[in-house]
Amino acid sequence: MDLFANLLLGFSVAVSPINLAYLFAGVMIGMVVGIIPGFGPAAALAVLLPVTFGMEPAGAVIMLAAIYYGSQYGGTITSILLNTPGESSSVASTFDGYPLAQQGRAGPALVMQAIASFVGGTFGVVLITLLAPPFSQLARSFGPPEFFLLVVMGLSTLIVMIGGNWRLGLISALVGLALGTVGVDLETGNSRFTFGSAEMIGGIDFIPIAIGLFGLGELYYAFYSGLHVSGTGGIVQLQKEKRFWPELRDYVETRWALARGSLLGFVVGVLPGAGATVASLMSYSLEKSVSRTPQKFGKGAMAGLVGPEAANNAASSGAMVPLLTLGIPGSAATAVLLAAFVLWGLTPGPLLMAQKPEFAWGLIASMYLGNMALLALNVFAIPLFVQMIKLPYRILAPAVILVCTIGTYSVNGSIVETWLMFGAGLAGFFMKLHGFSPAALVLALVLGPLAEQSLRQTLAISRGSLGIFLERAPSLWILGITAAALVVGMAMRRARDPG
Amino acid sequence: MRAGFLAGVLLLASGYAWIAFAELAWLSSAGRLGPGFFPRIIGATLIVMCAWSLGAELRHGARERLSEFWRVTLVLALLSGLFVAALDVLGGLASMIAYMAVTLAFLNRRRHWQNALLAVLLPLGIYLLFRVWLNAAVPRGLLPF
Repeated sequence: MDLFANLLLGFSVAVSPINLAYLFAGVMIGMVVGIIPGFGPAAALAVLLPVTFGMEPAGAVIMLAAIYYGSQYGGTITSILLNTPGESSSVASTFDGYPLAQQGRAGPALVMQAIASFVGGTFGVVLITLLAPPFSQLARSFGPPEFFLLVVMGLSTLIVMIGGNWRLGLISALVGLALGTVGVDLETGNSRFTFGSAEMIGGIDFIPIAIGLFGLGELYYAFYSGLHVSGTGGIVQLQKEKRFWPELRDYVETRWALARGSLLGFVVGVLPGAGATVASLMSYSLEKSVSRTPQKFGKGAMAGLVGPEAANNAASSGAMVPLLTLGIPGSAATAVLLAAFVLWGLTPGPLLMAQKPEFAWGLIASMYLGNMALLALNVFAIPLFVQMIKLPYRILAPAVILVCTIGTYSVNGSIVETWLMFGAGLAGFFMKLHGFSPAALVLALVLGPLAEQSLRQTLAISRGSLGIFLERAPSLWILGITAAALVVGMAMRRARDPG
Repeated sequence: MRAGFLAGVLLLASGYAWIAFAELAWLSSAGRLGPGFFPRIIGATLIVMCAWSLGAELRHGARERLSEFWRVTLVLALLSGLFVAALDVLGGLASMIAYMAVTLAFLNRRRHWQNALLAVLLPLGIYLLFRVWLNAAVPRGLLPF
């Protein structure tokens, strides 16, 4: 009964006219962000954070969360029509989405991806509704050893599961942890790495770093890759489509892909560090391996589009579970959401649902409505978004740089932070160019202070013995899940790169 | 190129570790873990990982070729840097207009009217959004807006 009462409370918050307006604005912005290659939800959330300063906390977080999960929908439109994923989590959707469009089935592909995204996203929200309260209850038994292990789990999973060289991923995370130690040590009051600068005493704010790495850095890299000249020449013309709606066999053939993708996506999303990209790639591999016609994959198999789409949306919902119940973000985008929570005086973690039920349940309820709005937008407003795809990158990029710069300055009115954002942009470009992981850096920067504090507390409790990590049941569970995630991650790497 | 980047990170990591070991104590005066405990672990691990990766890169790394678009990227980065530098001098609105005018003239050539319109309207929109609607900080510079 508590569940329904809480959900009703949540809907009473979410359906207020102003929050509905914020929700709709959020899903629209999310769709647009998803469409722009090289501008991900992490950068968009960081840039738009200052825009929410004048809002009520619930409305602000409802809008930011809608941008986050809305971008998962938008990223696929360019995957299908242009063979260019708007987001990394939409990469798997290019494998069969673009071939479908080339075969004159762009309309059915777009509608099926919208339905898959809706089912995956809504399935994820239903599971959040059911699982967040027991998770929250369970997390109350967690102490410093468990929180330290959760941080280790998030970072190690991210490093292993993201493609590329794991050593470079680890270096990225270590740089993030190092940046997280700048400022006053809260236990002793000593200044660390501040070089006498008053601006550095409070530590390095991760908002300018996130905007620089994911906004500027990605844009520079997009130019370096020639995205500004490739343009939209290869776009599949949707206007010429006669058969816009999917056929009955499309629904029948993909029903199990939909179910498997949703479940797999949610489970992967709950794991800190794994995220929507990993979920969609795993789902694609799974669908190909269980299919009776694996030879059709890569040539326009609807299941190869539907499975990953359901998975990445379920994963983005799943990532809300550790964020809301543990205060542990699993990706760069949810790290920015965490910053938004903190900015509004809310502390995500085991007590959030008990102390601020109207906020936590308002957010969850808004996700049901947000997914419905996104389904309608994706089916009925596709021509509008297709026009946006045609906006030239050479005009879009300077506009985004403008917003990144002014957005960074407006957070604290600091020109030092604006320079920091610019420096992070250059660093982000070189990191991307050389195979490092900006996401691992940002996540480590956010989680670093928690990791240091919880490790020091743990060692103080155990009098310096690391054996404490093996003595407590919750710690052993987290260690076990981490080990399993790492094994799966390594198996995925081996499958991707047999050499 | 990657080796050069790794060498740069190694250099920074060495500086970080040197400060952690030389200036920050492992234990506090109360006998608890001190401010240098975590940075020393991070610094030492970072040096080991950078040295390992640099060694592997020097042994097996393939020679990377510059993209044909490196000049555009460099100009774009320089213009962004100049934009940040101009904020304190010209102020938010004037810097935005100047940045958009120059960048669009470089990227979106021969579309003078379109560029002029965008260079004025977009900065004005962003200025109104942040300064007027959100009442957020926008750089003032030497000019009054």
